Amino acid sequence: MAKTIVEMREIEKSFNENKVLRKVDFKLKEGSIHALLGENGTGKTTLMNILGGVLPKDSGSILIDGRPVEETGHGMIAFIHQELSLINDLNVYENMFLGRELKKGIFIDRKAMRERTEEILKRMDVELSPDAMVGELSASYKQIVEIAGALMQNAKVIIMDEPTTALTDVEISHIFKLMRDLKAQGVSIVFISHKLNEVVEICDCYTVMRDGVVVATGEVTEETTENKLAGYMVGKELSYDDLYETREVGDVILELKNLSRDREFKDINMNVRKGEIVGVTGLLGDGRSEVFETVYGCNHSYEGSILVDGKAAVLHTTDHAQKLGIAYVPRDRKENGIIKDMSVADNMSVSVLSMYRKGLLLDKKRISESNRKYVKELNIKVADLNNSITSLSGGNQQKAVLGKALGSEPRIVILDNPTQGVDVGAKLEIYNIIMGLAKQGVSFVVLSSEAHEIMMLCDRTYVMFHGEVKAELSRNDFSEERIMVAATGGQI
Amino acid sequence: MNKKFNMKKFLSENSAVVAFVLLFVIAVCLKNTTFLNIRNLTNILLNNSIIGIVALGMTLIIITGGIDLSVGSQLAATGLFTITVFNQTGSIFLGIAAGIAMGMVMGLATGALVAKCSIPAFIVTLGTMSIYRSVAQYFFKGGGILAQGDKVDAFVAISNTRLFGAIPLPILYWLILAVIIGVFSNRVATGRRIYAIGSNEKAAKLSGINVDRVKIATYMISGALVAAASVVEASRLGSMNSASSGTSYEMDAIAAVVIGGTSMSGGKGKIIGTVFGTLTLGIIDNMMNMLGVPTFLVSAIKGAIIIIAVLFQRLLDTEKK
Repeated sequence: MAKTIVEMREIEKSFNENKVLRKVDFKLKEGSIHALLGENGTGKTTLMNILGGVLPKDSGSILIDGRPVEETGHGMIAFIHQELSLINDLNVYENMFLGRELKKGIFIDRKAMRERTEEILKRMDVELSPDAMVGELSASYKQIVEIAGALMQNAKVIIMDEPTTALTDVEISHIFKLMRDLKAQGVSIVFISHKLNEVVEICDCYTVMRDGVVVATGEVTEETTENKLAGYMVGKELSYDDLYETREVGDVILELKNLSRDREFKDINMNVRKGEIVGVTGLLGDGRSEVFETVYGCNHSYEGSILVDGKAAVLHTTDHAQKLGIAYVPRDRKENGIIKDMSVADNMSVSVLSMYRKGLLLDKKRISESNRKYVKELNIKVADLNNSITSLSGGNQQKAVLGKALGSEPRIVILDNPTQGVDVGAKLEIYNIIMGLAKQGVSFVVLSSEAHEIMMLCDRTYVMFHGEVKAELSRNDFSEERIMVAATGGQI
Repeated sequence: MNKKFNMKKFLSENSAVVAFVLLFVIAVCLKNTTFLNIRNLTNILLNNSIIGIVALGMTLIIITGGIDLSVGSQLAATGLFTITVFNQTGSIFLGIAAGIAMGMVMGLATGALVAKCSIPAFIVTLGTMSIYRSVAQYFFKGGGILAQGDKVDAFVAISNTRLFGAIPLPILYWLILAVIIGVFSNRVATGRRIYAIGSNEKAAKLSGINVDRVKIATYMISGALVAAASVVEASRLGSMNSASSGTSYEMDAIAAVVIGGTSMSGGKGKIIGTVFGTLTLGIIDNMMNMLGVPTFLVSAIKGAIIIIAVLFQRLLDTEKK
């Protein structure tokens, strides 16, 4: 029986009058990977911020290695946030020693820092040069550098907040291997994730939170299924099985012919029919986002042609794409989707301003009618539309961004990673919205690196590898294996 | 508790109004009768109406996340052009139209360089600031030009008439333009898009907004406003000077915008804030004048007050969080 490294007892926390944690107990065993689950806004990040010493607790006690935290401090605990805190213009060892540089007299001791970094990377069994520029590393290596930094400070507990959202499958398996190695060395990991398949795969224990209380906790065994965990999270059974419905699809509405762009993608041939849901999948660097950003008019120069309704369209600006009936829901909501200084209402209407006008002025009444319509249709949980967009949970923000795109009444909607950082309940809602609209004749292009998302939703999928289309699969031919083979450049 | 929170929110959203009221009260306390007399108050408004108009366009530009350092040079160049055309043709309308057209062309140039060539606005306008001033000085040999001809009285009357014999017209021009730009920023599609672009340019682009076009339009609107301000100035003085007209106006305009609560990183700001920001600067000037502060120290005190104003906003902002 492994000993308990962290024990949190009856933790309470309020922000203003809003109680976010009520008598939460949390136990972490030494050398284990413990999943902390829950929908957005249920208090998991707050709990971990308290453990990491980022936030003070209101009441309750924390024991670390059997001693109260007031004695031990938070030094043994490292929190790796969703937004990585690395500096792109510095190299690996400089990042790891940022703020605690080793010195020789008044000068920094580059040699010693480089050696220490090498030592730790070796212990982690990672091949990475201490001199590599962080800006040039892929997302998974950036995570690794963060983890290495934590280990260097002798962290016994590492909290990872959704570490895999921005990673591709290959990178995820890389991180998982590292997590298992760390576990074998006695390091404990708290793993916050929305991807339940990952939890079942790698975690030893789980704790599920809902509305600031722990609703379930236990060990991951053979009986721990994704559906069971999802059930704990939303408080009812969820099923994705009856999501897909067969539909009649119409004529080709969007066609890409030999579309190429320097160093990004080449000779892309794709088509989308009316009412069809077409997937485009692959690994990071496959160029799928670049292809569809070009289709949406983000790039001035491209070769080949884009045909809308069979007619060649010159798409050099995004407002032109919008006029042709194309809408875009970008990936990385925080960077590309929401406009954080604006209210929910302004965010949702920013695409459709030219549709609602009274002479020169905006028709505020019709704009707010349109907003309310989509709030209702998409079931966006918002107290007041004039609240800041950042006051919404991740899932509701994503629905607001989707509402913005749908507001322009598009015929073709391009969705790039539509459920990134979205909890299971909202995920299912978003899938149902897509399916419902497709039945009404709206076409969708779903860009996703998650094969099961594509398989659940799409009628047909393209698989890309290094900027080229490697395979086209119809729904009958879907299998995770086939997609994986094509995505890594193999022939099916 | 709840009431206190709202108070803070009110303060941080209307910091320019608060600063203005605060200074106003201080001024009344210090120099009751000299300050609180109609002529003095009218003078404050009148003396700041030109900067006030320039600051309106500057607000829009700063909300997009840009800046325009060349407004002072633009003002000199467009004013010189207005008087030249007026003197040549004898037509006030043609003179003003020529100046405003020139201002818009200048805005178009800046906007195109910023948007299409992705050069930072600071660099572009640092360049155009020198170019406009230098070319103007070349054509006028470092000197100026006087408004002349049959209609010179009518031209001078544009700025030197008082409505009902009391309110100088430049004040009205300023306030009318402030209302128009205020409505534009709130109730017109392009105005709303300016905010979206300043807050998150990538998201705005992916929302189907033609970012380049909105940016160019913003610089052109500012160019037109600067030209309008130059007409007011040219008429008020009856002349324009290629070396001295409009110098350091960009600094006063930026100061007014910043004191008015507009964020230098873009996305946030209000026209009404800029109006009060301009007035705040005006009162400071006026007070120092009345208190007999040595001329050479005036700028130092103004500079300090700008920093304090922004520090004050920062404090309110962090407390809100």
